[in-house]
Amino acid sequence: MLWLSFALGYLALTALCLAMNRHHKALLGGEPSPTRRRGLRLGAAVAMLLALVLCIAAQGGEIGAVIWLCQLMVSGWLLVGLLAWRQRWALSMAALLPLGSGLFALLG
Amino acid sequence: MSLRQSMSGLHTWGGLLPSWLLFVIFFAGSLACFDKELERWMRPALHQPGVASLTADQVRDWLHERAPNAHAWWMRPPSEREPFWWAGWEPEEGAEFQRFALDASSGEVLTDTVGGMFFFTLHYELHAGMLGMYIVAIAAMAMLIALVSGVIIHRRIFKDFFTLRPAANGQRAWLDAHNLFGVLGLPFHLLIAYTGLVIFVVFYMPAGLKVAYQDDFGALFRESTGYFERGEVGRPAGPPASLDTLLTDARQRWGGGEPGWISVHYPYDEAAVVDLRNWVSSRVTDFQWTLSYDASSGELLHEQKPYGAGYQTQSWLTGLHMAQFGGTPVRLLYLLLGLAGCAMLVGGLRVWLAKREARGGYGIGLVRALNGAVIGGLPLASLALLWGNRLLPAGLAERSRAEAMVFVGAWLLVALWAVRRQGSGRLGRDLYVVGAVLALGLPVLNALTSSQGHLGATLARGDWALAGIDLSLLGVGLLCALLGWRHRQPGEVHQAGRRESRRLAEEGV
Repeated sequence: MLWLSFALGYLALTALCLAMNRHHKALLGGEPSPTRRRGLRLGAAVAMLLALVLCIAAQGGEIGAVIWLCQLMVSGWLLVGLLAWRQRWALSMAALLPLGSGLFALLG
Repeated sequence: MSLRQSMSGLHTWGGLLPSWLLFVIFFAGSLACFDKELERWMRPALHQPGVASLTADQVRDWLHERAPNAHAWWMRPPSEREPFWWAGWEPEEGAEFQRFALDASSGEVLTDTVGGMFFFTLHYELHAGMLGMYIVAIAAMAMLIALVSGVIIHRRIFKDFFTLRPAANGQRAWLDAHNLFGVLGLPFHLLIAYTGLVIFVVFYMPAGLKVAYQDDFGALFRESTGYFERGEVGRPAGPPASLDTLLTDARQRWGGGEPGWISVHYPYDEAAVVDLRNWVSSRVTDFQWTLSYDASSGELLHEQKPYGAGYQTQSWLTGLHMAQFGGTPVRLLYLLLGLAGCAMLVGGLRVWLAKREARGGYGIGLVRALNGAVIGGLPLASLALLWGNRLLPAGLAERSRAEAMVFVGAWLLVALWAVRRQGSGRLGRDLYVVGAVLALGLPVLNALTSSQGHLGATLARGDWALAGIDLSLLGVGLLCALLGWRHRQPGEVHQAGRRESRRLAEEGV
């Protein structure tokens, strides 16, 4: 469950990143339309909230919130590291991480 | 001078001066997240999982033989992370605690080592007692100032939130790195510096203690925690009640949960008191729910009440810093965040250097030498400590002292080397090569000196605490080897382009 919340945090930050002109250009080409930008930010908020819910479900409100915030920071560094050195992996990671950890949570 | 300009000067110099000290605190604190795992790695006798058959009464007898007149005996039963007994005594009230690690089945004293606690002590008092604590506090204050001033002078917090340009010229790339680790990690950095100060706030701001409690720390402690104490009566103690029976009783009262530290105060006196503390990792606050028993009749004298609001707040903040809750996920996250703090400090130092290397300035040699001596020296000395832990003979007198000497000696060597080679452009490569050799050698040395602790055995039985340390060492060693390979040519000083320097100057660097 904590892997899944980490993955959702990564997904949320990727969405926030894509909502910015410079990164959208670099990753997807072209500027995002205002609707798309709003959609991405809304999606990011939802993913973050879901991640928080998962953390709280796994470890309770007090510890879950701490883990959630720590995970967000760490996933941010993962995202920026990929953007800097392996740009193409950044987006595939946003799909693979939630899928992989989701499967892991279901099976485990 | 605008606010931003004055804050910029404050951030540059107020950040530079404590950064080496902060690096030591951050690095040691990060390692201390896994202090108990390191402790176990450093005690090969504990690598083979055994059966904990030693009872609390046997440990008390052991203490009675060695220190019948001690002010207090302390013991801690084995747990998953620490599969051995801690046993020790305070010779007199407030005197230095003598502690020993006992094998959980045979009861023999384990080979002496500084253990993982070495890094914990380095983290909060630099092995310098009260003075070290004050130095660390000043560094923490400086860190808070640097964080706040950094936020004020950073014009593009959100615009550059996800920006890292490693291919850019030196100053730009390091500034990106410094900003990235500082901004994304800001919640953690603020929290850890602030809660670090809260832990010993009573010593840093003693006015309340002096006025309201006449400088009697014991009185403040008893009142705020609700801890029970009764005085000695000067008559000899009767035959003691069984500690194991008391532990059974305590477990029932706690409704589950394991005992942490157990103490017996003035065991030679009729009024001797046994305190049993509950050990929990499911909450941030470390509420110990201490049960105090009469040491001979076994009668329950007192049950600690939940903390009042003030102490509860401090205790919660302290708990947030200590990361004893939430298990491995929290410890791992704190480790990564702490190392990110180290990276922020290194980034800041490199920005300072890159800026001045481009246009000249005072102190460049000194900063370079200190960077090599501290940022290269501390990790290498820590690796050397682990080598010393395995290579020093088991029967050596004052063995833990010898281990500490290995640490200090290795650090001094690196420092001398850093001063000698400063400015040659080859220092980085030298340090990476030494790091690679030391780190990659440790799992091998572990395999040679511990029959049950090598990767083959630990991975096979799923002992991730030990395997994780060996695997991390391998990872660190490979990373150092890679970096050493990339630095095989002497480094050249990057010349910042004129436009780039102007842009950086506009951004208030």
